[in-house]
Amino acid sequence: MLKPVPPEAFFLDLPLAEGRGTARRFALLHPPQGGHRRGAVLYVHPLAEELNCSRRIAAQQARALARDGWAVLQLDLYGCGDSAGDFGDATWDQWVDDVLAGAEWLRQRVSLPAAAPLCLWGLRAGALLCAEAARRAPRPCHLLFWAPSVSGKVALHQFLRLRATAEMMSSGAKGVMGRLRQELDQGRPVEVAGYMVSATLASGLELATLSPPGAGSLPACLDWFELRMPEPGQATGAPPALRPWQDAGFETAFHLVDGPAFWQTPEFAAAPALIEQTVAALSRHGAP
Amino acid sequence: MDAMQQVVSLLEQTLDLNGRAASFTADTQLLGALPELNSMAVLALITGLEERLGIMVDDDEIDGRVFATVGSLTDFVRSKLAP
Repeated sequence: MLKPVPPEAFFLDLPLAEGRGTARRFALLHPPQGGHRRGAVLYVHPLAEELNCSRRIAAQQARALARDGWAVLQLDLYGCGDSAGDFGDATWDQWVDDVLAGAEWLRQRVSLPAAAPLCLWGLRAGALLCAEAARRAPRPCHLLFWAPSVSGKVALHQFLRLRATAEMMSSGAKGVMGRLRQELDQGRPVEVAGYMVSATLASGLELATLSPPGAGSLPACLDWFELRMPEPGQATGAPPALRPWQDAGFETAFHLVDGPAFWQTPEFAAAPALIEQTVAALSRHGAP
Repeated sequence: MDAMQQVVSLLEQTLDLNGRAASFTADTQLLGALPELNSMAVLALITGLEERLGIMVDDDEIDGRVFATVGSLTDFVRSKLAP
C-alpha cells in the first residue's frame, strides 16, 4: 500500500482584469493517490455563506476523488474565502477567468496526458461559472454539477432575498427587494448577509445561464447530481435544464441521491451517498 | 399530505430538527422561538415551499407575521394553494 500523499495548500498568483496586475488565490491541491492518473478535477465553490457551509463536504469529496486517482484542485475565487480581494470588488467575468486560469494551471501542473479528461465541478452558483468557463475553454471539459443553480437570475433573486428575510426578523421586509434592485440599477453596491455585492457582479450573475457550449466542446460528459431527503411523493425525474445538454451532444447522466442541502446549514452535515456516487460517476470518464 | 404536514416536514428537513418537529402543533412559535430559524433558514424554507408545492412567494409577502407560528405559516401556504 502506498503512503497517502497529503493535500498541498498554497497561493496561486492569477491575473486580475486588464491592467490591474495579479493577486493571490488560495488553492488546495489533492494529488492523485496510488499512482493512478485518471485526470484532473477543478472544484468551483458556491457564493458567500454557501461557500463556508459547503467547505467540509467539498474537501471530503476532493479527498475521495484523489484516492480514486484524480488530481483535484479547490480554488477560492477572487474576493472569496482565503483569496485576496474583497467580495465587493469581485465581478462575474473575473470569476470565470479564475476558473479558466485555474483549469489551465492544473492541466500543466499535473502534466495531464492528452487522453485524460479535465472536469469542472461546480456546486450551486459554481455550476453556472463552470458552464460559462466550458463555453469559453479552448478544449472540451467534462462537467460535474451538484445541485446547480439553473439560472443566474434565480440565484441573484434568492441571494437578495437573504436581505429581505434578515430585515423581516427585525422590522419588516416590505419594499426591501424593490429598494435593493433600485440601488443596483443605479450602479450602487448593496450589502447582503455581510457581503457587499457590486452592481457589476449582480448584472453578471443575473445574465448567467446553465446552457451548454457549442459543438467545438465535444466529446464531453455532464453528470448532474441533486440531493433529496428520503421521503415519498417527491419529484424524481431529470430537471428540464438537462435537456439542452443532451441536445448539444453531451453524454449526460442524472443522479438523485439521498442527502441534506448541506450548503444551507452551518451545522455538521454528512452526505456519504453523494460522495460515493460522485466517485463512481467520474470513474467512468477517467483515463484507465 | 395536508398543508400543515407539508409545513412541519419542511421545517424538520430544512432546520435539521432531529425529529423535534413531530411534536409541533399549530400554536408552536417559530420566529424568535426556534434558534435554528435564522435568515438563511427562512430563505431555505421559502425556497423549499416554492419548489415543493409549486407556489410563488411574492417578495412583499416575506413578513414576520407569516413566520410567527406553524399555524400562521400553514394558513399562508393554504391561501397560496387555494384555487
